[in-house]
Amino acid sequence: MMELVNFYLVPGLILGSIYALGAIGITLIFGIMRFAHFAHGDMATLGAYLALGLTTTLSLSPWAALPVAMAGTALLAILLDRLFYHHLQNRPKILTVMASLGVALMLRSVVQVLWGVDPQVYTTGIVRAESFAGVMVRPREIATFATAVGLMVVLVLFLRHTRWGKAMRAMSDNPDLARLCGIDNEAVVRLTWLIAGALAAAAGFFLGINTELNTMMGWSALLAMFAAAILGGVGRVEGAVVGGLLIGVIEELSVLVLPSQYKMATAFVILVAILLFRPQGIFQGKVL
Amino acid sequence: MNPPPLPNSPTVAKAHQPLLIMHEVRGGYGDADILHGVSLTVNPQEIVVIVGPNGAGKSTAMKAVFGLVKVRSGTILLAGEEITGWRPDAIVRRGVSFVPQVRNVFAEMTVQENLEMGAFLSRSVREEEFERIYALFPDLKAKRHALAGSLSGGQRQMVAIGRALMLQPKLLLLDEPTAGLSPKYMEQIFQICRNVRDTGVAILLVEQHAKQALAFCDRGYVLATGTNRYEGTGQQLLNDPEIAQMFLGG
Repeated sequence: MMELVNFYLVPGLILGSIYALGAIGITLIFGIMRFAHFAHGDMATLGAYLALGLTTTLSLSPWAALPVAMAGTALLAILLDRLFYHHLQNRPKILTVMASLGVALMLRSVVQVLWGVDPQVYTTGIVRAESFAGVMVRPREIATFATAVGLMVVLVLFLRHTRWGKAMRAMSDNPDLARLCGIDNEAVVRLTWLIAGALAAAAGFFLGINTELNTMMGWSALLAMFAAAILGGVGRVEGAVVGGLLIGVIEELSVLVLPSQYKMATAFVILVAILLFRPQGIFQGKVL
Repeated sequence: MNPPPLPNSPTVAKAHQPLLIMHEVRGGYGDADILHGVSLTVNPQEIVVIVGPNGAGKSTAMKAVFGLVKVRSGTILLAGEEITGWRPDAIVRRGVSFVPQVRNVFAEMTVQENLEMGAFLSRSVREEEFERIYALFPDLKAKRHALAGSLSGGQRQMVAIGRALMLQPKLLLLDEPTAGLSPKYMEQIFQICRNVRDTGVAILLVEQHAKQALAFCDRGYVLATGTNRYEGTGQQLLNDPEIAQMFLGG
């Protein structure tokens, strides 16, 4: 029993909270700008490497580099929108989707040029897991989960209780009416990129600190993040959280019955099944 | 106790000056014009209705006031200030609110949040503002924490109108507020319009139910093929045999 918790459930929840951070951005971008952002994984990669850059050049601790990398990626997300997505906003959405595919390749290449293609780590050395009533966890895993959950709680409170949070929900719900209320759509779009970029960077950082950094890390996680967003219900932040945790746990548990090479394929199977049988997802999201 | 006006909002129009003047407005959505010279006037605290056959440009004329239509020529004056070609958010700040015919609530937000979004431009909303709206729509108070999408058609329409009234507009534009509602709710919406007018708001509305609308309005305009056909008080228009034959089905 403890083996199940220690080897599958704990890693599944850690991985799931990372997927959730990415899926929230994907679901917000879809809800407000109505397109699938394929550069989200590589945005996460860039965020992870920005943190790495800060640890090596300024010899910051990785945890001190995290907020700076989040802020940097958030600003970069706004810049990318201005440069590549903004002027496509009134054209068919497939153009923006394709543009995001291009941005994904571009971001990855930038990372490869600046940091090389070899895997890297934030800190070297082995960290032993500690036992908490039989549950074996590493401090960094606790920190990952706690920070991810903390960020999500702050975001949900922001969306529920603040003027601009409500404006974001209003625009996701009914953009024409939001405009009639005098809500500045451009400002909501910038705010959405700010949040999505910061959370993507956090996702990339947590992936990197729990395993290693490589330039394909974000792209590899993208499918699971999309599966999480769709499973939870597109446009639903709480759905992205639940979807992310579920996908993470299911991926880890799949190793019990499938060869571990198929771990990634489970997200794909879930994605296809959801689209076929319950396209609105768990939380009644928008149908793609 | 009136709350302070919004930033930029001018003081209430002088007594005898019309609140809204549309003069010879031509325009449409794309290249083809839908309006071929529409003129109308709304005085303060007056209910004015636009009726006419399908495709007459009724809704388009109203949307032109709110900056949602490309106006090619003609002028639109609000309290003496020209607002032709302004963006909707600038027009909202001048004290005009618009309730579209469909998709006019935030379905996934609560009634209270819908009202809050109506007051988005005023930054902070005071409790009295909500109470003012709930006094007009007592049914909504009990449902204030329900999602707007879960309400009946009539209640949704009340949320939509309440949302539009949050900024204390001088002019309320309603696009077919009774479409799809039962006669009971239609009467209720009309009664609400009278109550709203009596709080000092002018209302311009487009109606499919021409007879009932002309019977309840102060003045009416009959549009056909994008131009003015007739105008007068509701009773005058109702009693005109020519109009009855052309538009009201005898």
